[in-house]
Amino acid sequence: MMSLPFLLFACGLAAGWTSRREAAMGFWVAGVLVLLVLFRFHATDVLNLGL
Amino acid sequence: MTADLSRLLNALGLVAVDTVLVLAFADQLWFRDLPCPICILQRAGFIAAGFGIALNLIFGPRPSHYGLAILGAVVGGIMSADQVLHYIVPGSGSYGNAIFGLHLYSWALIMFVAIVVGCGVMLLFDRQYEPSGPTPLRQVTLPILAVAPACSCLRSAMCCRRSPSAAWDFAPRRLAAISSFTRIWG
Repeated sequence: MMSLPFLLFACGLAAGWTSRREAAMGFWVAGVLVLLVLFRFHATDVLNLGL
Repeated sequence: MTADLSRLLNALGLVAVDTVLVLAFADQLWFRDLPCPICILQRAGFIAAGFGIALNLIFGPRPSHYGLAILGAVVGGIMSADQVLHYIVPGSGSYGNAIFGLHLYSWALIMFVAIVVGCGVMLLFDRQYEPSGPTPLRQVTLPILAVAPACSCLRSAMCCRRSPSAAWDFAPRRLAAISSFTRIWG
């Protein structure tokens, strides 16, 4: 699941490289939305802290 | 500022963003400093910010591309600021190794602020939006960009987890396997 934003951004870059600007921006929006959802679920994760 | 100079500065900015991601990946591999989930999301934030800069290189500078870079940096900055605030009280611990006195999430916050400020400054110059010929930088954009998602997918695959308890047990084993592979391959 954590790979999903990276994959969406990679798809967006591929779309940009093939001159499909609107598709690239669509993938960017989807990637950022997934990023925010993942942040919502992982913001309170327990971390292995160095105290 | 001409369109060519703008593209050059955008290319340098993209190289800077990629350098951050590659150095974070190197820190993870060599010092076994596994990223936490929020750290991985911050790196995705760097790619979101670099995405706008990359579109400037591919399609030419446009205000909307700078907008994407600023929004991506703001999203990543929110995550890194959240993590900085977790540890802002003295004695509340820290996560990972410090580099030049600051932890990676603190450096990330500084970089995200720098991206926002840099894009804001670039937006001030209107001459860069005038149409110009095809850019030779487009030919080198994809190899530069390919570094970040490739490293990041590998990184998140190494640290991906199904349950909190399995994460810190399983990830070092995967890391050790990949380190062994790179030693044999290298």
